[in-house]
Amino acid sequence: MSDEKLATKATRLGLSLDVWAVLTSFLLALLVRVGVLKHVPW
Amino acid sequence: MATSVALPSQEAQNPFANVIRFIPGVLLLAAIGFAGKVLEQSINGYAKSHHMVIPNVEYVLWAIALGLLVSNTLTIPKVFLPGIATYEFWLKAGIVLLGARFVLGDVLKLGGISIGLVVLEISGSLILMTLLGRLFNLRPKLSTLLAIGSAVCGVSAIIAAKGAIDADDEDSSFAIAAILALGAIALVTFPLIGHALHLTDNAYGLWAGLAVDNTAEATAAGALFSDAAGKVAVLAKTTRNATIGFVVLGYAIYWASRGQAEKVKNKGAFLWKKFPKFVLGFLAISLLVSVHVFNKEQVGALANLSRWAFLLTFAGVGLRTNFREMSKQGLRPFIVGALGEVLIAVLTLGLVVGANAIWKL
Repeated sequence: MSDEKLATKATRLGLSLDVWAVLTSFLLALLVRVGVLKHVPW
Repeated sequence: MATSVALPSQEAQNPFANVIRFIPGVLLLAAIGFAGKVLEQSINGYAKSHHMVIPNVEYVLWAIALGLLVSNTLTIPKVFLPGIATYEFWLKAGIVLLGARFVLGDVLKLGGISIGLVVLEISGSLILMTLLGRLFNLRPKLSTLLAIGSAVCGVSAIIAAKGAIDADDEDSSFAIAAILALGAIALVTFPLIGHALHLTDNAYGLWAGLAVDNTAEATAAGALFSDAAGKVAVLAKTTRNATIGFVVLGYAIYWASRGQAEKVKNKGAFLWKKFPKFVLGFLAISLLVSVHVFNKEQVGALANLSRWAFLLTFAGVGLRTNFREMSKQGLRPFIVGALGEVLIAVLTLGLVVGANAIWKL
């Protein structure tokens, strides 16, 4: 998907920064839960 | 860097609007944040290997200081600006993931205490800032913006209120500059005062969450004291953020009644629109951890993801703070803000000390 299309799609979705942050966090949590992200160093 | 006081553009509100545009700035945030972490480890390692006793300077402070150094000594190329603006996205993602470090019982206990203190803090702050605004002859809407910014959640609250009360761009920029400058001062003063008063992690975290205006600075001020205090500061600040809709709605109704803002047609929809959704995300992750959806190792991974997100935020706090730009905004809003903040800091410290005596925080 080109950047322009991606940008259009994101704009069309009309999600706020908060919602994007929540969705991204949930996706990361899901990846941790199913074992894709096993060890996150600090 | 003009972005230190400019209102975020629509594009800055949505970090996925044009992914490529954000990459240079995000890489800069990551590089500065990581450099802060490496500096902390290197200096501590050097001191340990040479049997030296030096005070530990946390990666939080290094990341902010490096960001400040870059933004105040160099002209940041425009290509980095969209990515730097994503620091607020990382802050909110970090808060949601931080939910993994709280079981719901802790959230309810500390959150319950926070709610009581937040109500007192907001009432006191709104009254104080309004009185100071009148005393110093600030424009009424500028006073309103400063009051909302200092009572609730800094820049986000000012932006939320700007549209609702039809404030002009100049007033918003004044208020944002004052809040950001005072936030930068709080980063240095709060941890020093907290240590001087021998506050516990919980008491200090509550104080930072109640008194420091901007969420990023409150998170950093908490983390500068200790990791545990940083957690509590975020919880208290998140509780404060959750009230944004009610405060802004109150002012919108007030200014509409004076014919200086549009009437709010649907109050429920207004509240939902202004409500910070990341608070719900934080509670959801905390709930999932409390019912053992994640094992111990997974909770650790989520907590570390939260730390990485905050690392980018702290670098962003430094990078978007440009003292030269702030100084152009005039002294009076800053003086009103500074006086108000000192009084609010004293008021909230009193509240926290009182709560500590009752509930043994």
